[in-house]
Amino acid sequence: MAALSTTWLYQDRGLGSMVSTGHVMRGKFPVQLLQGNARRCCSGSFPVRQCKVGVNYFPKRSPLRTCIKCQKGDKDEDDDALDHVLVDQPPYHSYMDSTSGQMEPASGARASIPGRDYWPEGTADRVRAANAPAPTGESAAPPSFGKTPGSRRKKNKAAVAASETSEMSDIFDDAVEAELVNEGLEDSKDLPSEFVVYQTEPQEEELTGYALDKKLGVPHPFIDPEVKKPIEQPLTSEELWWNWRKPEKEQWSRWQRRRPDVETVFLKAMAETGQVKLYGDHPTLTETSLYRARRHLYKDERLQAESERLKEVGPLAYYSEWVKAWKRDTSREAVQKHFEDTGEDENTQLIEMFTYQTDREYRIMMGTDTRIRRDPLAMRMREDQIKEIWGGDPVYPTINYIQDPDEVIDFRGPDFHEPTPNMLSYLKERGKIISREELDNILAQEKTEQIETTDIDEAMAQAVDIGENDDEGEGSDAESSEEGEKITRNWSVLKSTPELRKTKEKPKKNGMSLDEAIDDSENITDFILDFDEDE
Amino acid sequence: MGSSVVFQQCLISSLHYQQPNHQFGYGGATRASAAALEATTPASSSPASFPLLNPPAEPQDSPASQLELADPDFYRIGYVRNVRAYGVEFREGPDGFGVYASKDVEPLRRARVIMEIPLEVMLTISQKLPWMFFPDIIPLGHPIFDIINSTNPETDWDLRLACLLLYAFDRDDNFWQLYGDFLPSVEETTSLLLATEEDLSELQDQNLASKMREQRKRALEFWEKNWHSGVPLKIRRLAPDSERFIWAVSMAQSRCINLQVRIGALVQNANMFIPYADMLNHSFHPNCFFHWRFKDRMLEVMINAGQRIRKGDEMTINYMSRQNDILMQSYGFSSPVNPWDVIPFSGNAQIHLDSFLSVFNISGLPQEYYHNRRLSNDGDSFVDGAVIAAARTLPTWSDGDIPPIPSAERKAVKELQDECQQMLAEFPTTSVQDQEILDSMLEARKTHEVVVKYRLHKKLLIEKVIQALDIYQERILF
Repeated sequence: MAALSTTWLYQDRGLGSMVSTGHVMRGKFPVQLLQGNARRCCSGSFPVRQCKVGVNYFPKRSPLRTCIKCQKGDKDEDDDALDHVLVDQPPYHSYMDSTSGQMEPASGARASIPGRDYWPEGTADRVRAANAPAPTGESAAPPSFGKTPGSRRKKNKAAVAASETSEMSDIFDDAVEAELVNEGLEDSKDLPSEFVVYQTEPQEEELTGYALDKKLGVPHPFIDPEVKKPIEQPLTSEELWWNWRKPEKEQWSRWQRRRPDVETVFLKAMAETGQVKLYGDHPTLTETSLYRARRHLYKDERLQAESERLKEVGPLAYYSEWVKAWKRDTSREAVQKHFEDTGEDENTQLIEMFTYQTDREYRIMMGTDTRIRRDPLAMRMREDQIKEIWGGDPVYPTINYIQDPDEVIDFRGPDFHEPTPNMLSYLKERGKIISREELDNILAQEKTEQIETTDIDEAMAQAVDIGENDDEGEGSDAESSEEGEKITRNWSVLKSTPELRKTKEKPKKNGMSLDEAIDDSENITDFILDFDEDE
Repeated sequence: MGSSVVFQQCLISSLHYQQPNHQFGYGGATRASAAALEATTPASSSPASFPLLNPPAEPQDSPASQLELADPDFYRIGYVRNVRAYGVEFREGPDGFGVYASKDVEPLRRARVIMEIPLEVMLTISQKLPWMFFPDIIPLGHPIFDIINSTNPETDWDLRLACLLLYAFDRDDNFWQLYGDFLPSVEETTSLLLATEEDLSELQDQNLASKMREQRKRALEFWEKNWHSGVPLKIRRLAPDSERFIWAVSMAQSRCINLQVRIGALVQNANMFIPYADMLNHSFHPNCFFHWRFKDRMLEVMINAGQRIRKGDEMTINYMSRQNDILMQSYGFSSPVNPWDVIPFSGNAQIHLDSFLSVFNISGLPQEYYHNRRLSNDGDSFVDGAVIAAARTLPTWSDGDIPPIPSAERKAVKELQDECQQMLAEFPTTSVQDQEILDSMLEARKTHEVVVKYRLHKKLLIEKVIQALDIYQERILF
């Protein structure tokens, strides 16, 4: 009613404004209000009497319907149906607000629906298509689905039987061109009866039970329970006919095998604990995907089983799983007996038990966050299962690296009490060291090669300069051959320095060995043959 | 139909349209005069719109009032699949379906859409290789595809379409299974493919008869070749007898619409079976045309811009602007006022074109002759499509400003009239007799009726030409 009254105000104001200001506005404004209003009244969920009241409010509907047109042809004809929606007026007066959950009036701010000019492309077509009325009326004959074309025409229904026979005979006369045609006709008249007859009517069967659930989307098990066959004896993966068999032997490394993922391992562990029954020893892809879809349900099942076990067995027995060091009897009777004996109630006994728990066990029992319910299956997983999913310890990846922290390592070997061995003879035996004599022998062998090279040099030194350098002319030959002259552009400093040649030749001509030479020299610096020319 | 005088019937040009405000080249009698003339003759006039399957033209206000509405399921099966008809309704009469306006339409600058039909309900094959089907209902390995592949790309379009139609009847989810119930059945088709030898002999036109026989033979041969007894059941059940196949071919020939459509980026000429648009009948002065909207792949049937439509007017399309025998061959109907009709004159007689045109106030280019109403007095309703056909087919000469020589003109006219009389004499029956035969046969076969009408129309045309030449002779201004 409130909605109605506000709109009455609207209308009043609108009319009032039109009268008072007197400017010509598109007369649609009050008209659409009325029309919109009347429609809202009748189409909404208001009771009928309100609707009637609404109608009585606006007795002057028809004269107001004449619109004031600004120009001839301003309005398109097929906008008639669409123009009832005003540009600036919200199309409804109240709506169900999702925030508050109550009916709210629309007098709050709301973006107006833009007019036809602003509609995106194709909207006008779609609106027109949607506004087109659907055909009403009952059909006289059912469809024949392609069997008898023309069966639903009006004339045909009356005159089918009469004309049919005459038609047939005429057409038979017509086909004289080939005998085959006649035969074909005769054959084909018979053959249709041999053909499969199709259903023309859609099937009427109803779905019930599992099929209905499936169609409606109601939660249902994966397999129809009536059709489901129980797994009698789980076969191994080798025996299952639908299992892919991958050859393990041809792989040259175990790294090539397929990595198990969380779901597969979990599913296998569940099969081992007996929560789920698999068809083989390894879960197949189907089973894995089924598990994946219902994972949360299985976890809930497990958690529920745990809590039931807790209730059943009692806290002491339940938590003693995580306390390896507690060896005493934890059944309810034993606890009761202990209570009677010592007067310690259950909690105190629990506390005592927990004093035997190690830190590691505690961590496993609690997890990092006590607020998260750990999956009992995950907590009880075997070492190798954990390794498959979450990988091994990054610090101590293999068994070899695990060290006992309390171990005392003894580095003493079997030769612990032996004296210090002779390093020199040891190394000599190993061939790491040779004696001085051997070294000299080796060097002496190497030395003989040196003498051969100096002969060549002497020969080269005695060679006459042919005249490679043309710039200086022939004067250079004379210059270079003279001793004690400045060296200009010679190919060898050694060769052109007579001092050097002299000093080198002296000890060579004596024929001393290296040892004698070393003994002969006052200083090692004698062997440095880099003299200045000024000397 | 009561008995009526033939000549008066010729005079009635019941072309149901209004002269538009601006001359668009539509000539012919006004509605008022047509109604007045019709009031004088008791019989129903020869209809100007030549439907695939004729509704009789109404002496009352609207041609639609005597017809009853079609089965509501007809539109409903399309409505469900996004076919829309705006302001038109489908009516059915003894001669078949027609589309009639359900409300008045003001003449506007814009063409108005009356029907829109999406691509999904059509059956389409492109005209050229590679043959593409929209919608693609033929599965890859189906033997019907091989049959379609074996057809000649240039000439066998109707056989392909027939195969496609038959296949569509077989597919369970296809719209044509439902729509097929509204197609004319074997008994109701006017197509000459399904006519008997008797009918064909009554055509009194050897060319046309032989052409039809040839067509029928071709269809039959195709059926025999591809539907022999060894063929798989999938194919066999599509057309278990040759009659069904020939019916499908006749449907293809008469109801196929050739359009150039753009689908996505591909522009192609396609032969299309379009469900509701093929119920539109034919007129030489149509008020609708087809438009392909490629955005959502819909065919729009639109009213010509500037056309005023009254409630109950028939919506018509120009199928083809050709002479009566081509119309008869393809569609199975003919028109006495076909402005494109051809009479084969032999001989050298020629009349002056310009004076002939001016006598009858026919203006416009040769392709678009129309009766210019403004020049003539309002009472004159002699000029109709037949006279325009005469203007086109009579041997004429026109040489700039050279005036016609009266004596030569008269001689030529005389010769032409003689020739026409000769042609009329060659026919076994006269038009009067034909009319009587038409009136007398009640429960005749459609094909027979149509055949008799065809020859009647031919004779009427020739008689009209003779009359026109008479008037021409009288009215030559010298």
